[in-house]
Formats: sequence, structure tokens, C-alpha cells
Amino acid sequence: MDTAIHDDLFAPDVIADPYGYFGRLREEDPVHWNAKYELWIITRYDDIVWLIRHPELFSSEVFKRDPRPPYPPIPEADVDVYSFVRQFFGDFFIQHDRPSHTEMRTVVHGYFTPKAMESWRPMVRAAIKDLLDEAEAQGQMDVMQDFATPLPVLVIARMLGLPQQDRRFIRELAQKLLFIGRGDPNRMRPLTDGIKGLVEYLSPLVEERLAHPGDDLLSVLASGEKRGAYSREEVLANAVLLLFAGHETTINLICNGTLALIRHPQQWALLQHDPALAVPATEECLRYDPPVKSLQRIAADDVERRGKVLRKLERARWFIPSANWDPEKFSEPDRFDITRDPNPHVAFGSGVHHCLGATLARVEGQEAFAALVERFPALHLATEELEYQPSITFRSLKALPVTWN
Amino acid sequence: MARALRVRVDRTVCVGNAMCTTIAPGVFALNDDRQSEAVNPAGDTEEKILEAAENCPVSAIVVEDAETGERLFPMMRARSNGPTARSPR
Repeated sequence: MDTAIHDDLFAPDVIADPYGYFGRLREEDPVHWNAKYELWIITRYDDIVWLIRHPELFSSEVFKRDPRPPYPPIPEADVDVYSFVRQFFGDFFIQHDRPSHTEMRTVVHGYFTPKAMESWRPMVRAAIKDLLDEAEAQGQMDVMQDFATPLPVLVIARMLGLPQQDRRFIRELAQKLLFIGRGDPNRMRPLTDGIKGLVEYLSPLVEERLAHPGDDLLSVLASGEKRGAYSREEVLANAVLLLFAGHETTINLICNGTLALIRHPQQWALLQHDPALAVPATEECLRYDPPVKSLQRIAADDVERRGKVLRKLERARWFIPSANWDPEKFSEPDRFDITRDPNPHVAFGSGVHHCLGATLARVEGQEAFAALVERFPALHLATEELEYQPSITFRSLKALPVTWN
Repeated sequence: MARALRVRVDRTVCVGNAMCTTIAPGVFALNDDRQSEAVNPAGDTEEKILEAAENCPVSAIVVEDAETGERLFPMMRARSNGPTARSPR
């Protein structure tokens, strides 16, 4: 029997169960060279925290600096489109290193403080109520399409101060941006359409915010141009980033968390009896089945770890599911326990690039899970046949149909 | 003279986001684990220290009046990952 670890990160078994595959790598070869995609795979908790807290060794300027072609491969005809995407994404502040990363992040960081996000909780709660009212009237729902997908766009559009009547249009464009993390070889064209549509839509709004700044997030971002931290192109790229960064990620938090709660009825009941547990429950959902599966850095120099040498400009990809299930860090890591404490998961990363929207995601998750158990005590799966998107960036269910009768 | 402060970073919570070392570099510094430590509570103004505490994405910074022990940050809870508990309905 062949017991070697295959390198096909998009194989159906790896997509269905990343915990098995990356867990095995964590035990057998924690700093693993994946020859098929020419990248290092980092799977241990302490190695990952070390890697992401050393941004001077591992650059975030992946789109700009990665000398290797995109993976999975794209059609030859899409190479020009890719170079556009690459340049556009390279303007994201998360794709910068210090010192420009600090300058750019500082402009928007103050908007997302825990205290500031707390003040949005009533709005999030109201948006959840509206969506669940609609669903309740239908008698069934796809948690993904009907609840998890519209919620983050509603919330961020409000924060950016985008007109209410533009929501449907924004959602359609934002949907196209979801292609970035879904291994489809033909992902570059819809992605480019989405980007161009959003830039065209946002351009006049940015112009207007520069002339008449308000207290909305788009005004805050645009102020970065006056401060000299952003060029106009960078303002537009980062407005697109703010619109969609919390999109797929929040969808997955809500879907994966809801699924975990449904599959652990005792935990569901615990949350039902004590709604204050929505806080640690959300942390446990983030740990147990994290929204983001892996992210990448580029070695800024030759670096050694566990006897392996990562050469300058080689790709290093760190896998959150295996870190969050690392038995060196978490006791009984495969147990879903909504009262787990402490819970130092790395679902939001760590270090200087720690997720800007982490607190907002927490508020959305807490409110979503609390509302679901309260309103639909008998919630259950409408099918056991669940499939995941063939992505190594996101842990995304294709659909999550449920009923409550 | 400005009042003396007690400043502490909760290492079980700190993720090394380093916003505090950017805002109040006279007070906070990263250690070998790339977590923040309050190396000199008198190294910056009270205003800057409170701004650093408020901008910590995981609310790991605790600021108190050194003499009276009065909690200046965070105001609501001893430790918070952002959220406050929902009131039971």
C-alpha cells in the first residue's frame, strides 16, 4: 500500500476533509515541500504563529513578488487578464509589507476597533432579524444563499455609506469576486468583470467623499489619499477589498459554524439555554471549522525551519485548520466545545496582518448563531449531501439547506 | 505633572498586531515572541496610551491609575474579545 502523501491539494478527499490531510502532514512532515504546486506547506500551530509574526522574513507582497504562475493553472488566453488582476490585488494594503503596510492600515484601523464595532451590533442584529423573517415565511432556507451571503454585504455597504438601492447591484458584482478563491481555471474573467464593475461604480463615490467627507468608511479610506498614504488607484482597490474581504469569510463563518452546531445537538442546546455563550461559541466555530483554510507568504530571504531551507522568493502557505487542530496547543482538538477557554485559534491570523475585520466578524457570528438557536430550535439539515468549493484558500460550503419543521 | 499609570499587556490575548508600538512607541515594544510588552508606562502621554489600548484589535491592553488603581481601559469588562454578552431574553 502506498502511504506517501500525495501533493494534490485539490483532490476531492483533501477538499472534503482538510483536517485529515493537513493533520497528517502536521504529524509527519510539518514543513513540507509540495512539488506539484511548488510551495511550502506549514501546518504546525507554533510554526505558523512564528511565520506570520516575522513579516520581515515572509513577505505579504505575494501578487507582486511571486515569480511562479498562478495555481491551479489558468488558460493561456487569460494571461493578460491575470496581469491586470495581479496589479490590482497588489494595491491591497494586505499585500504590502512595512512600512507602507502600517501607513495604509492605520488609515482604516481606527474604524474597526472593538469599541467602534460594538456600536454596530444593533444594526447587525436588525439585519439578521429581517433576513430570518423572510426565511421563516418560506418554511426552509439555504443558510448560505438566504442568510450568510446577503448579511455581510448589507453590513459593509452600510458602513461604507453606499446607497441602499445599490445593494442588489453590489451583491452581484461582489459574487463575481468570490471566484478568486475558488479553484476554477476560468476564474480570471469573471473576477476581472467584478473588479472593473466595482471600480466604475466606486470612482464617482470616492470623488464625492473627497470633496464632502462624511463619517462613513469610504470617507475614512479616501482621507488616506489626502494624507499621502494611498494613491487614487489604491483607494479604489482598497474600497473593493473592504467590500469583499468580509464577504466569503463571513459566509463561511456562519455556514461552517451553523453546520457544527447542528451536528452537535448538545452544544446547540447549551447555546439555547445560555445566549451569552454566543461569544465563546463563535470562537469555537472559528477554531473548529475556520472560514479561511490557508494563506500565502513569499520568503523574503533564505530561512531555515525544522531542518528545511526555504529559499528566497519561494512560496510558503500556512494552513489554519491544522493549526487550530494541533494537539500541542489544544486539548482534544477534534472536539467541538463551545465553552472552550482559552481558545487561541488563528482563524484571523496573527501579527501585523491580523484580520482588520475580526471584531466585525465576531459580532456578526455571535448575533447570527444566537438568533438561529433562538428562532429555529428544531433546525436540521435538509440533506446530508454537503459539498465544498474546490478551494485551498476558503473552506466554503456550496450550499447549506435546512428546515425546522 | 501627569499621573502615573500602570500599563499591562495580557500575553494570553496579544496577537502581536503591533498597533500599540506604532501609536505609543515610547511605552510598548515587541519581545522575542513578537508580542507586545509595556516596557515604560511613562514613555508617552496618557492620551497616546489610551489610544493604543483602544486600537488593540483584541483588547489585550489594560491601563490603570497607578495610585488609585482606577481602571481606565477597558472600561466595561476586565477582558473582552470585543463582544459583550447578550442580555437574556
